[in-house]
Amino acid sequence: MSVLRGFLWLLAFLLLGQTLVRLFHIPMPSGVIGMLLLTLWFSFRGRMNRDVVQISQPLIAMLALLIMPGVVEIFFVADQFADQWTAILTALIVGTLLSVLSSLLLMRRYLAHDDLSHNDLPRNDTPRNDDPSSPVGTVDHE
Amino acid sequence: MNEWLDRLSQLPQQWFESPIAAIALTLGAYFFGVRLFKLLRRPTWCPPMLIAAIGIATVIALLPIGIDDYNRGASWLMLLLGPATVALAVPLYQQLPQIRALWKPILMTLPLSATLAACYAVLIAAIMGAPQDVLASLAPKSVTSPIALSLAEELGGSRALLMGALLTTGVTAIFGVEWLSRMLRIRDPRLIGLALGINGHALGTVRAFEISGVAGAFASLGMSLTGAFTAIVLPLVWHLFY
Repeated sequence: MSVLRGFLWLLAFLLLGQTLVRLFHIPMPSGVIGMLLLTLWFSFRGRMNRDVVQISQPLIAMLALLIMPGVVEIFFVADQFADQWTAILTALIVGTLLSVLSSLLLMRRYLAHDDLSHNDLPRNDTPRNDDPSSPVGTVDHE
Repeated sequence: MNEWLDRLSQLPQQWFESPIAAIALTLGAYFFGVRLFKLLRRPTWCPPMLIAAIGIATVIALLPIGIDDYNRGASWLMLLLGPATVALAVPLYQQLPQIRALWKPILMTLPLSATLAACYAVLIAAIMGAPQDVLASLAPKSVTSPIALSLAEELGGSRALLMGALLTTGVTAIFGVEWLSRMLRIRDPRLIGLALGINGHALGTVRAFEISGVAGAFASLGMSLTGAFTAIVLPLVWHLFY
């Protein structure tokens, strides 16, 4: 039941996000607003709701799965972009490699001199949450 | 006998009248993809998602049903994208102390990295003469799918192309981070995790959790912040130009 209660929390914050988006014409998806509101709510309370933690783990693991139905469509609309494929693939592959290179270089420049340990940080460094032993999103392809 | 064959041939159509078959097909293909991925010894260039998507496409092509029949059912599964986005608040909140401790370097690097991730692709495609709707589908390529989808809708891009772009980007980012961090001798899991999360959205984050917990936590941080930042900035910048 705890999972369902957590799901209700997520839906409530999603609806709250949608309400704000509609009311104030915010140019952002309602899910993102819901996410930010829930983070704010957690910081306000000083801890996380255990039910939400339990449901968020399987849901985040599903994110990769949820991309899939959309990917399937590309095989069926490929003709529509027939003359664009070289541009699209070059942009994606070269563009991504370039952005990986620049972000690695940038972060090495600004983060590497930080005196935090270069090895695994202690887990108890994470916030006061209800269940620190389960880092959410610990996802295997399982 | 003939009548019976007739009924048999109508079965696939009838399956896909309700969303059950599409959802079952998606989940089945997912586990098939994961299994084959392990059998192939985890090739970084071919993630389970790609195998699964090809599997679903093959099944749809073989059965007398269209992609629309499948999409109608799969859209029920996609409804979960909304709550899944809200669920990202949990890793984000867990990382708040890390963000606070490292806010300066993260502030220096993350917005720039997230901007570059979108700019490189859009620039290359624009130089090569891609039209506006293609550019709109490529711009959110490094953002996690629920945010990217609503962004592409907002900018007027193609959903199918964006999803393909997300997959290609994720695969390239995983390969790129592993290859380039070896070249640059970067071993800090925080750096590798952030790079995976910023450039490779959910797929990169899943990979980062395989490397270590710290890499995974920083990847979800990178993914959430890139998502939030791009969701705010990209529509504003886009409407300046188009």
